[in-house]
Amino acid sequence: MTETNLRLLKDIDEPGLHTIDVYERRGGYSALRRAVTELEPDEVLEQISEAELLGRGGAAFAMGMKAGFVPKGDTDNYMLVNADESEPGAFKDRVLMQKTPHLLIEGCLIAARAIDAVQAIIYIRGEYEHQADILERAVAEAYERGYVGKDILGTGWDLEFVVHRGAGAYIAGEEMALLDSLEGKRAHPRMKPPYPANVGGGVYQGPTLVNNVETLCNVPYIINFGVEEYRKLGTEQSTGTKVVSVSGNVRRPGNYEVPMGVTCREIIYGLAGGPPEGREVKCFLPGGSSSPALTGDEGLDLRFDFETLEAAGSMLGSGSVIVVDDSQPLVPFALRLAEFYRHESCGKCVPCREGTNWTVKMLERIDSGEATPMDFELLAQVQTNIIGNCLCLLGDSMAMAVGSMLEKFRDEFERHAEEARARNEAALVEQSAPELAAAPSIGPM
Amino acid sequence: MPRPEQNFISFEIDGREVRAPEGMSLVDAAKNGDVEIPVFCYEPKLGQAVGACRMCLVEIEGSPQLEIACKTPVEDGMVVVTTSDSVKQAQNAIVEFLLINHPLDCPVCDKGGECPLQDITFGWGPGRSRFIEPKRHFEKPLELSPLIAIDRERCILCYRCVRFSGEVAEDYQLVFLERADSTYVGTHQGHPYVAPFSGNIIDLCPVGALTSNAYRFRARPWDVENGGSVCTLCPSQCNVTFTVRDDAKVLRVFARDNAKVDDGWLCDRGRFGFQAVHAPERITRPMLREGGALHEVSWERALSEAAGGLERAGAGTAALVGGETTNEEGFLLQRLMREGLGSPHLDSRPGGALDPEQARALGRPELAAMVPDIDYADAVVVVDTDLQDESPILDLRVRKAIRRFAVKVVLVGGRPGALDPPADAIVRTTPDGGEAALGALAAALAEVEPVSVPPSDRRVPRDPAQTPTGGLDERQHGEPERQGESAGRERVDDLARRAGTSAEAVRNAAAALRAAGPTVVLWGERLSDGPRGRQGVAALLALARALEIPETEGSGLIEIPSGTNARGLREAGCLPGLGPGLLDAPQAGRPAAEIAAGLGEDLSALVLLNADPLRTHPDRAGWKRALEATTFVVAFADFESETVAEHADVVFPAESYAEREGTVTHADGRLQRVRQSIAHPGEVRPVWSVLAELGARLGAPADPPFLTSPMVTRAITEAVPFLAGLTLEELSGKGKRWQERDAAEAAPEAPSLPQADELEEPPEPVAPSNGDLRLGTTRSLWAGRETEHAPILRFLAPHQRVELSPQDGRALGVESGDEVEVSRNGSSVRGIAALRDALPPRSVYLIEGTAQDSATELLDGESTTVTVRRVEAE
Repeated sequence: MTETNLRLLKDIDEPGLHTIDVYERRGGYSALRRAVTELEPDEVLEQISEAELLGRGGAAFAMGMKAGFVPKGDTDNYMLVNADESEPGAFKDRVLMQKTPHLLIEGCLIAARAIDAVQAIIYIRGEYEHQADILERAVAEAYERGYVGKDILGTGWDLEFVVHRGAGAYIAGEEMALLDSLEGKRAHPRMKPPYPANVGGGVYQGPTLVNNVETLCNVPYIINFGVEEYRKLGTEQSTGTKVVSVSGNVRRPGNYEVPMGVTCREIIYGLAGGPPEGREVKCFLPGGSSSPALTGDEGLDLRFDFETLEAAGSMLGSGSVIVVDDSQPLVPFALRLAEFYRHESCGKCVPCREGTNWTVKMLERIDSGEATPMDFELLAQVQTNIIGNCLCLLGDSMAMAVGSMLEKFRDEFERHAEEARARNEAALVEQSAPELAAAPSIGPM
Repeated sequence: MPRPEQNFISFEIDGREVRAPEGMSLVDAAKNGDVEIPVFCYEPKLGQAVGACRMCLVEIEGSPQLEIACKTPVEDGMVVVTTSDSVKQAQNAIVEFLLINHPLDCPVCDKGGECPLQDITFGWGPGRSRFIEPKRHFEKPLELSPLIAIDRERCILCYRCVRFSGEVAEDYQLVFLERADSTYVGTHQGHPYVAPFSGNIIDLCPVGALTSNAYRFRARPWDVENGGSVCTLCPSQCNVTFTVRDDAKVLRVFARDNAKVDDGWLCDRGRFGFQAVHAPERITRPMLREGGALHEVSWERALSEAAGGLERAGAGTAALVGGETTNEEGFLLQRLMREGLGSPHLDSRPGGALDPEQARALGRPELAAMVPDIDYADAVVVVDTDLQDESPILDLRVRKAIRRFAVKVVLVGGRPGALDPPADAIVRTTPDGGEAALGALAAALAEVEPVSVPPSDRRVPRDPAQTPTGGLDERQHGEPERQGESAGRERVDDLARRAGTSAEAVRNAAAALRAAGPTVVLWGERLSDGPRGRQGVAALLALARALEIPETEGSGLIEIPSGTNARGLREAGCLPGLGPGLLDAPQAGRPAAEIAAGLGEDLSALVLLNADPLRTHPDRAGWKRALEATTFVVAFADFESETVAEHADVVFPAESYAEREGTVTHADGRLQRVRQSIAHPGEVRPVWSVLAELGARLGAPADPPFLTSPMVTRAITEAVPFLAGLTLEELSGKGKRWQERDAAEAAPEAPSLPQADELEEPPEPVAPSNGDLRLGTTRSLWAGRETEHAPILRFLAPHQRVELSPQDGRALGVESGDEVEVSRNGSSVRGIAALRDALPPRSVYLIEGTAQDSATELLDGESTTVTVRRVEAE
């Protein structure tokens, strides 16, 4: 069995890990001390780059490269943590912030050092109230110990640290919308370029490095133990470990930190216990609700890393594995997902706003038996028409997941509609002509 | 920001090689190759592209997916395809998505026939819908404001109106509410969207979601014709299109894009004021006073009575010319007065005389900025005017310059205005402190800067070929004299005190300006009004010198006059003592105030050409006495104002701006054509022809006689040296600045600009006694005849508003909303008090030109203090 929880979640069950005393006792803030007192900002950046740490928020962009885009000099740079974890199936950042907030703060400080930031901001999902409280206390503790604020660790480096609570929109987790939301505007994605790291593109026009919580939690390990040690786990391209949130039809749902490159079967069956007795994995979404579905047959023996899953037509995304077993009808599942995206679409661009809305309406008809045979093709085409045509990835996220399910389980969609239609007719007959309904063998009309 | 240099590149689109300026949006660049890329949300006037509609998806070689053309700057060698299958599929998809929730009620929609959504659906859409679900529903139509109706079902959420409100007008009233497919456009808490520029969203809307209440259901596009002209309701002189039905009725006014004048925007007064043209109370027949009352008479009778009366008065005739008068009308009137009646007494300025030498100095081409210079200047100085009320479209221009090009703005004046929030420096003065403040600023600019800021290298000398030689030349070499440092500092301190402001504010402003390159000064006419008007202009010219305006490309002055065509009338010869071309008239005449004093003495007749002294001129009581004492009053008027109803003996119906033919001159020197769009109603005749006829009858016949308006235009170009050879064809649709023509070399010369230390000492600030306050006046966008005669605008007609500082409010026991009486020397007006934090204590501001209780009641041309008291509820 795969060894789990080697790094980020290593001490996760340690009582009081969220307090600075326990964290320091466990070696916390040693990486920060090393980063600010022994290394130059450029060296910190170099180590992150060499570790080839890929973003854990979904886009898998190399953190070192992104940080390298931030200009240094006379601009006010910002370090921004995207903690707006809101996607169905994703709950890894929550556990990190709740249990080991100082790990995030330390990683964030090191990254801020690398880009010479003047302010670090954690934008946390509004519903994560408990976690935000914990983070705020942790930041206050870090201020008290001199890890944050003026003249950090006596080096003359100043950095302010803010925890900012969101107000309840999934789209605010899209990095460009997050910037608008943070500035007090409607969370609408901005167009790129300029990218956040560019002058004029980030928060308050300043160059901004935006990273996911888990990504930053990897940084102290890299600084503490070096690039070579860091790369000992994971694959050549997907380095290190990944915290996987497993949910859906499994016996032991939860967060598991695994080395990149273990098989999906290992995660779903080995760690999460697989579906309940007597059922098989019908399909699973390996990278959260926005990733294309993989059937059990094609996906279970794939390695869980960025490159393998992308090659298989899906993605690792945020690493949230949603498992669907053979007892679960797919149409209501797809409908539930589509409803989420329709509700969370910001309404700015046309394909997402209208496409998610149309998709929901069609899936409702399929689910309730009012679909026509043409609807399946239309549903598929609408997904194609959304993908690649939107301002941000929210619309694509729905279209990729729903589109892949429809493509791979077209039979089941059609059967679902047919069965629902038959049920409707039977009910109608029962209502309007109970004597006929009582008669045997009337059969489908 | 420096004027961007255009570097042309070539790229390929649909197999065609096309040249375009580098960095231009692909949507615009494609037009150079006759390729149209469909768009809904893209509108360069609104600033940065937002990429919301996704209609402009195209294929760009090297890009793995389709890209939106609106945000793609063209690059050299770029290869673009807009006709491939994948692009077509995307275009079809977007149109299909847009239409699924659109009601498709085109047969009853005002936009039908001129609707971008219709056009794009026809051109780029799939042709049929596969959507069978129920559409989204909203309550509709709703009044977004009394001017605009909103139909949210038709809305495609393109963002244009919301962006206009936030990023152009900066009123921040329109927002998106709700989200996803429930998103809709609205205002905070459903308040009506009432703002000076709200009507522009009607033009911007690419569907029929925002429609004009004035035009709603009045016509379909195939019922109407559109005619281009110029709005003469204010000095902005925006280019407009009249939508006309049956050659007789104006149904609508919308913007006719002219980046050098208006950027394609209109204010609501200009957009909806046209209704006054068709007001039933308009005068459309000549009238004569008989037995104490006005009666309609035949043209012949009116003309012969007018000619007879004026002939009797002869050189005892005076004339006032209103701001909306065209160059042609003004020219003919001064000809009638000077050559026919032998009277030099005519004035087109309500507020006071303009020194002839100064008029010529202000007319010099090297002191003239043009409107687009505001965009590319480093700094803009706004003196004694609130642009939003007095030249609203320039308010938008300055906002754009600040927002897009980071232009620095310095405000000088007594009253807090709409540009205060984004201003970089504010010199807040007493109501008549402009002269001292400009003198202080000019002196401060000459001070040695304590921290050495290198003078901007952006002050590029003008192209010598462009600068007419002579007159001002020696200045270019004369280094400003450096005074003893402490004497200079004392002078700045003293002038600042006289202006009622702090030396620190002046120095802050000077610091902002010293570091700037090209600088544009927008100055309100009131600086040149009143007994200190000459010294006010001198201070302005000294500031121009201190800012090196004559020598700097892109620098200049733009006047914000009180009348629409103030510059044109001045140059056509409608100032006392100044004939056509700003040349000295054979005989010096009297300015308006002296005309009032002379009426009933040696002056016995008065011609009012679109002028209404009881409403627009200072000293209403004096004018009332003067009009009563006048034997014979001839008025060209469109409405029966108090002046007309009680004092006119002969009334000629005036043309509305939709009926006029002629030219007007923008404050930046741009001559523009006013074109006749509708037939004259009733018996209205062209005013130029009436003036020509009177001229012929009163000893100033023309040879050949003036048979058409262009013949008058031609006579002007012959009389005014710097307009020599100008033709109407040259003006074409967008006008022409005379400074840009070769004939500009003939502009009359003026003495060199004064230096800051040559200025006269301004008087001590008035010290109000007994709790009295210094009176300042301001104009309101809505205080005008249009708001009274255009039914749709009536709700905006302002009541007198008395603006006080909170300190004075407390001292007088007045709160915002109280009714107060403001009085002076027996005259008084009432108004509603408004306490404004930013207003300096001991000043009170009232609106000029309201229908009742106008501030002009309290003015007598002298600087003045007034008593304010609260009116107890009865």
